[in-house]
Amino acid sequence: MLNYNQSLPENVLLQDLQMKEVKPIMKLIVRGKKRDFFSAIGKSLNMLLPAEANTSSQSNKLTAVWLSPDEWMIFSNEPIDESTNYYETEELLNNNISKLNLGAITDVTDQFVMINLKGSKIFELFQSGSPFNFNDFQNKKGAVVQTILAKIDIIIHNQDKNIVNLFVRRSFSEHLFSWMKDAASRL
Amino acid sequence: MFIIHCPFCGEREQSEFKSGGEAHIVRPRQPTELSDDEWAEYLFMRKNIKGIQFERWNHAHGCRKWFNMVRDTSNDEIKAVYKMGEKPPIK
Repeated sequence: MLNYNQSLPENVLLQDLQMKEVKPIMKLIVRGKKRDFFSAIGKSLNMLLPAEANTSSQSNKLTAVWLSPDEWMIFSNEPIDESTNYYETEELLNNNISKLNLGAITDVTDQFVMINLKGSKIFELFQSGSPFNFNDFQNKKGAVVQTILAKIDIIIHNQDKNIVNLFVRRSFSEHLFSWMKDAASRL
Repeated sequence: MFIIHCPFCGEREQSEFKSGGEAHIVRPRQPTELSDDEWAEYLFMRKNIKGIQFERWNHAHGCRKWFNMVRDTSNDEIKAVYKMGEKPPIK
């Protein structure tokens, strides 16, 4: 991870809702369409990319979320070493995919901020600023959606019941976090 | 505001989408051989129908994919949604 200051300065603890930035989390965008691309990813990471829209798949170390028919984000389940920009997974995929022209691997570790939300009021908070219908989504473990929250593009990953990961671009993260803090205080 | 069925992501609200104008406009094969009027016709002139219109849309805040839509412009009823490169399901 690059030497950024913490994007979000504090953890927010409200009744029934807890929000905090989790860092550093390795994040990669992988793109590809060929059949060889999918098998190379499967062999390299020992996990399959989710083929179904709005879903995710998980291994011990990594989670892959569906973003579009030929685009996925892979992120580490646990924070990684802060002092380095070298990611073993990226190196592995670069060798097995990029260099063989099967697809593209982009490191977006520092582009996206991951905010972890816990509590029973997560979706009430999202509903106050997003056009997406969360009724079915909130009961599907592993569901993923790219949508808008407070006019900001976000990726939401429903990790478990009442635990959600939210990805937002770094430049918007501070504003979004303060919006969520404000909105959550009035739930 | 209306609900659009993205062929990749499913039902989403219109505010996640951007309209990309009229669909199925074919770029002339030899632009250099066209007159200025013909080129202007291709570049700028668009139908503005009250009724069934074929349009391109982009799921800008979702999967960022382009697709086609058949929409009745008089009442915003979406008749069909189909992927790029596919033929319109209705004429």
